[in-house]
Amino acid sequence: MGVIDEEKASDNGYVPPLRQIQVGGTTEPISVAERIQEPDPLLQQEEVPYFDDTQPEWFEQIMRTESLSISFGDKKAVKEVSLPVNAGEVLALIGPSGCGKTTLLRSLNKLVDLTPTAKREGRILLDGTDTDLYDDTYLRRRVGMLFQQPNPFPMSIFDNIAYGLRERGSKRPRKKELEPLVVDSLKRAGLWSEVKDILNQPALALSGGQQQRLCIARSLAVMPEVLLLDEPCSALDPISTSIIEETIVELKDEIAIVIVTHNLQQAERVADRVAFMYLGDLVEYGVAEQVFNAPQAERTKDYVRGDFG
Amino acid sequence: MEAASLGTKAVPKEEDPTNRRVELLLGALASSILLFIAGMVIFVFLKGFPSFAANGFAWFGAGGNVDEQLANIFNSPADPAEYVYFLRAWPLLWSTFLISATSVAIGIFVSVFTSIFIVEFAPTAVARVLEPVVKFLAAVPSVIYGLIGILVIVPWINDTFITEEMRESVAYVIQLDGSSVIAGVVILTVMICPIMIAIVTDSLRQVPRNWREGALALGVNRFRALRTVSVRAIRPAIVAAAVLASARALGEAIMLSMVTGSIGFAPNPFDGILFFFEPSRPLGATIVDGAEGLSVAPFGQTMYAFAFILIISTAFLSFAGWVARQSLAKYSVGAK
Repeated sequence: MGVIDEEKASDNGYVPPLRQIQVGGTTEPISVAERIQEPDPLLQQEEVPYFDDTQPEWFEQIMRTESLSISFGDKKAVKEVSLPVNAGEVLALIGPSGCGKTTLLRSLNKLVDLTPTAKREGRILLDGTDTDLYDDTYLRRRVGMLFQQPNPFPMSIFDNIAYGLRERGSKRPRKKELEPLVVDSLKRAGLWSEVKDILNQPALALSGGQQQRLCIARSLAVMPEVLLLDEPCSALDPISTSIIEETIVELKDEIAIVIVTHNLQQAERVADRVAFMYLGDLVEYGVAEQVFNAPQAERTKDYVRGDFG
Repeated sequence: MEAASLGTKAVPKEEDPTNRRVELLLGALASSILLFIAGMVIFVFLKGFPSFAANGFAWFGAGGNVDEQLANIFNSPADPAEYVYFLRAWPLLWSTFLISATSVAIGIFVSVFTSIFIVEFAPTAVARVLEPVVKFLAAVPSVIYGLIGILVIVPWINDTFITEEMRESVAYVIQLDGSSVIAGVVILTVMICPIMIAIVTDSLRQVPRNWREGALALGVNRFRALRTVSVRAIRPAIVAAAVLASARALGEAIMLSMVTGSIGFAPNPFDGILFFFEPSRPLGATIVDGAEGLSVAPFGQTMYAFAFILIISTAFLSFAGWVARQSLAKYSVGAK
């Protein structure tokens, strides 16, 4: 299960099925290293079990990367990463700085394509369909994103939330039609009670934590199926951080969430699954408790113990 | 000044005498410049006052041929009691407004689109060449534009657009020879665009990448994101650029006196297409053209009156620009 040797993972060419539904836990985790020592050739050729199957619940894959590589010029930032994103769960990408986790995240909604030097190989699937078949704007409406720095637009709170709805089509909806959606988004992001009387005030006048929740609400307004969070709390104080974390946990039933974080405690608090990346490789992927409490790979062990990074 | 004095007050113990001296020196410099400008405005107004006083509000109105009126003022009897002041300045005012406003309006569009190209779409190498070139163009002396205008643009307009019928249709009032409103507008637009492009480009670069990425991440396409976030955010800078360009356009004299035909005629929008090819003469050009006559007292005073109108319009524009920027500032970046 958990351990994926970066070379092995690409060598054995394992491609997980599109919508895999698994029930019940069966085997004990076996690391690749152990298996190589096995004399039985049949067992050696067995594919690395990709998904954690100890979870008793049903899950559904909403997104998946297939041997995704991203390079900037000569520098490979992400190397042959195959990673599923499950609906109804929070997936945390952890790893030291420069390990490619943010690049991986930004590639999921093709924001990385904005960098002229970026080159992508491999596939990204959304609901079983290659995202290259989708228009970028369509993909980004289904896969929303929240940035490290809160980035409300220089407009009123209402206009911020309504922005994505107003600017996506050729017809601008009227304020009346937008209002219920705006209110609903603010409620889901847990900001409604704080801003319900000041919807026409500039959004930049809010506090940092409120701004970040406003950005969550703004993303939610366009009804995404996946929400990407790029270190959403790194610019915030502890109280705002915990409010955002609560919001994330509340949202995960409706939206698959992928969060990049430097904060291991945060990953432990919010994540159902964790992927550990190191120098562009996906080193380990598994259920959160297992990755934190019984990591399989040496580097994961070192990292979660705090030896580097 | 203000900031400096606050800075020294924040550290109450033993004030450095150098700070105090620098503060006084800079303060004196700033105040003397302000005093000088205020003095100049008052001086110009007092000098031009006889012209305003003699005509009242009719000064601003239309009536008769402004060139003949100016000639009469120039030929005033030597006796101060018999000075001629009669003037209906409307053709000059209308020409000034028409040429400046049109150029600035065109300039806003051109500069915003050019800046977007430079910042968003031009390859780095191109942008690196374009930007210094634009800044250089902003510094080209206007007489050079005037020369090109009178030698190239005016004959070209005359040969290409003006037909014999057009000439004949207005022959009893004016001569059409290519020197025209449109020549002035085209060249003035070329003249004021570089400075506007420079300002708008600088502020467009200041728009946080964050905002644009945020808009893109919501599934808004690139052009829409540019328009609704970036350009929206730099509106104060666009206003600032427009004000600066208007000031330059209002004050432009030499070039306009060369290419607009220098005839005190008010182009009439109801003349249809002909409107663009009619000559005119704005205030600045009138002052330049009248330079020889300044020793004739009433004529000099009339010129002062024109100068006062120019100063006041520029001041009013700056103020209006400031008000506009204030109201836009809370939602924006760049020039405030």
